[in-house]
Amino acid sequence: MIPAKKLLNTLTEHWGVLELLFKRFKMADFSLKDVQNAIKQKQPSWSNERIYKETNRLLNQDIIIPLAKSSQLEINRAIADFATFLLQEEHLGLAQEISVLVDDLARLGNRLAKAGEIEDYDELRRFSRIMDDRVRKIMKLFAHNENAILNIVEQAKADNAVQSLQKRYQAVIEAFDEYIEPMLEMVDIRGDFHACFNTIEAQISAQIQQIDRLGKSYQDKRMLEQLRTRILEMHLVGRESLRKSADMLMPLREELRRNNLITRQAAKVLGLVRKNGVDNMLSAVQPNFVSDAQRFSLGQQRHIVAYMAGLVDFEHDEYQLPEHDDVPAYQSPYIPDYNDVKTQFRKRFKKASKKAQPLLSFLDESYPDLEADEMLFLYQKLISDGDLEISQSQEKVKIKIAQQHFSLYPFNSSIADDKKATEQ
Amino acid sequence: MTDINLDDLTHLQAINKKLTSGYHISEQDTLMWQELDQHIDAYRSLFNALGHDLQHDSRGFYYFGSDESTPNMGKISRAIALTIYILIENYANTGKDPMRALFDEVNDLELMQTLVQINKHLFDQLEIFSGSDLRKDVYLRMVRLGLAREVENGFMLQAPIYRYIDALMEVNEETYLGDDE
Repeated sequence: MIPAKKLLNTLTEHWGVLELLFKRFKMADFSLKDVQNAIKQKQPSWSNERIYKETNRLLNQDIIIPLAKSSQLEINRAIADFATFLLQEEHLGLAQEISVLVDDLARLGNRLAKAGEIEDYDELRRFSRIMDDRVRKIMKLFAHNENAILNIVEQAKADNAVQSLQKRYQAVIEAFDEYIEPMLEMVDIRGDFHACFNTIEAQISAQIQQIDRLGKSYQDKRMLEQLRTRILEMHLVGRESLRKSADMLMPLREELRRNNLITRQAAKVLGLVRKNGVDNMLSAVQPNFVSDAQRFSLGQQRHIVAYMAGLVDFEHDEYQLPEHDDVPAYQSPYIPDYNDVKTQFRKRFKKASKKAQPLLSFLDESYPDLEADEMLFLYQKLISDGDLEISQSQEKVKIKIAQQHFSLYPFNSSIADDKKATEQ
Repeated sequence: MTDINLDDLTHLQAINKKLTSGYHISEQDTLMWQELDQHIDAYRSLFNALGHDLQHDSRGFYYFGSDESTPNMGKISRAIALTIYILIENYANTGKDPMRALFDEVNDLELMQTLVQINKHLFDQLEIFSGSDLRKDVYLRMVRLGLAREVENGFMLQAPIYRYIDALMEVNEETYLGDDE
């Protein structure tokens, strides 16, 4: 017998190696050389002698055991199970495993009830212990299978599209058909599972009541109560775990089903198309697009109806009519372009700036064809133009332009005196 | 009636231009997609008033629904449909997951040539005789309709392809017989 502590020490020390062996060979066998290589890989600094010694240590402590009638080795089953638990690399168990345990539980329940009847308390205690053990085992299986399904789902999702559809979903389908479906059937509220638990619960409750009534072997009551709670919990945990597993697998199964459906349909449609011609087969179902041609025509009736209706309702909510002030004043077509007038004005008064020249007479001379009001319009534009050097005379003067007489304080071209005034 | 504030609809012009030419705006057209997503009610009533039928497909695209196509567009649509169904068959035959491969794989010229070669009989009916014909007549049109986008050495299909998959599921013998008269 190898002391547990010694074994655990070796395990911790060589966990890296064991993990490597476990992952590389899964459950298959390997040679002594493989073990030594694994150690070498994990501990490159070790000498060959040391490696040899450590390999022997693993063998001596039964962590690695030789296969029967072979020089090959394998990891001790118990250690391998422990490793699967630690690494969560679990493989899906069978639904039958659980159902066998549940059947056994029912059998034990009957035995327990019988032992209670004949008041054999040693037997009662023994069966209750065994049942407790079975319940724990079932719970472990539930957890184990849930992890296994999670692994399956992850694998199916991670695989890239290059892999064949068949292969990718095989595990999923298997998991569903061989575990989830029978299990769901079993835990169904009308299934055996449920009935069995009801019986067991009733049996245990009866025992507890009897103990209460008789007052005998009171310490067993607590044990039975615990067992009952555990069974109830197991039932709950099982249902929960199955529900979760089914939820994980369902979408993948759906996806596969849909993919199959689409593939089948595509093959079928292409077959029909080959037989009947493309246009005949697809015209009826092809998606239609709005096209440029339709954009410029009100082709369909609903377009016209919508258009007419839209004309009534559609309005930009900030739409405003222009104010009266915004309308530009009427401008006579005879008036020359203001910019031309300005350039001409500049040209004329650039040099002859010794004496102030009345603006109006300049206009009168330059544009003899204009009406009086048109000339005044230009005059007004010129004097309000900031670019030009002009000044207003101090005296009121009478001027005649275009056969009209005006009396005003006229603006003149000037350089000397440019007092600003706005009134005229 | 929904209040429409045209100032909020900043991409109206671009969206209108795309949609009226039959383009499908999918999530890859980030700007327009977000804009539509945010002001869907305003756009819907606006386009409705203008006689269009703005459709939002929950698989991630917007388009103008239409009951009928011009003869030319109809022919294009049939060519696209045929191409997609043949693609699905091709992926399934090569052991790939068709729905995944359809959207994940780049359709390059080599693939197009293979498709046309294998299904010569069918493509002949649509006057597509080579891989480059397929590229020109189908894939470039799909890009213009927003069904695909051009990538480095080929094309990637986009979500609006689902319209064709829906159509695929509708086909059966009756659709042909109904069309026969």
